[in-house]
Amino acid sequence: MSDRKLCAAFAIAGAFATAIALAETAKAAKAEQEKCFGVSLKGKNDCAAGPGTSCAGTSKTDYQGGAWKYVPKGTCTSIVTPKGKGSLEPIAN
Amino acid sequence: MTASADFDQNAFVRALLDPELPAPNGLEARHGIPPERRFAVYRNNVCVGLVDALAERFPVCRQLVGDEFFRAMAQRHMRESLPRTPMLFEYGHDFATFVSSFEPARELPYLSDVARLEYAVGQAYHAENATPLPMDVIRALPFDRLAGATAALHPSTHVVASTYPIVSIWRRHMSDEEMTPLELNHGEEALVVRPELAVNVTALPLGGSAFVHALEDRKTFGQAVIAASGVAADFDLTGCLRELLLAQAFIAVGASR
Repeated sequence: MSDRKLCAAFAIAGAFATAIALAETAKAAKAEQEKCFGVSLKGKNDCAAGPGTSCAGTSKTDYQGGAWKYVPKGTCTSIVTPKGKGSLEPIAN
Repeated sequence: MTASADFDQNAFVRALLDPELPAPNGLEARHGIPPERRFAVYRNNVCVGLVDALAERFPVCRQLVGDEFFRAMAQRHMRESLPRTPMLFEYGHDFATFVSSFEPARELPYLSDVARLEYAVGQAYHAENATPLPMDVIRALPFDRLAGATAALHPSTHVVASTYPIVSIWRRHMSDEEMTPLELNHGEEALVVRPELAVNVTALPLGGSAFVHALEDRKTFGQAVIAASGVAADFDLTGCLRELLLAQAFIAVGASR
């Protein structure tokens, strides 16, 4: 292996190891969020608006019960919307 | 409405797309309703259906220009480009190209790149499923030999590079977050992956899309770094790998050669 190749291999190894550590830290932060149903505004859902939609950003009405968005963990059921409280399970519309 | 022997499909399609043209020859309708009227209803349904399909597929573009502008633009596009397949999720494949040459949208130079990103999101949603490489497998890879290794990326992986901050624009319009002013004088490269059920859109460091394209071409990590450095001299490899790992974009990392 030439010096240059060795240097590149070393850089890639280091970058990979650091990237894994960074990704795991970021993932741990994400785990602190929960999916909250019935609280997102029309078209602003993170996912699951219902059959036939392509998910994120497709909910048809404000606070649609089948659409969820990520909120900080532990806050979902305390969110009050004009249609009622947020839910950790889908709400029948 | 049925078609008789002198029915000409090309004439039918032309009349379908141009409301100025008379109804095509050879139409018959039951119950004494004039076929022209039935045809006008059908023409309207086709047009509204395809415009609706584009409006659903490009929700951020629609917000950027407003509903009225978007529908007018989509209608013009629909007249030039009909679906190529019976699968509506593939419709809109050339919408971004159309938008880039659509004179009234000239004032929003980033609009066509946002459309490219939105199309990629739809393609990612409908892409084949695959199991992302688990983190403990990634952690156990022989790091010192990765420079010569290749990788297989999730089939839903797409990258969209732009000279405008398309990821920031997209994200602001897809969340409830308050709109804050955005500097348009920098580019962003979007990474789109759907590892499970939800499509993730993140920004890669500059050069990241060249890195991903190289890996998709079965180049080694070492070659991919060189490709990315050709685009951005100070390519942030760590940041790029971090985004790819978070997006769960790897489904396999090959043995070193």
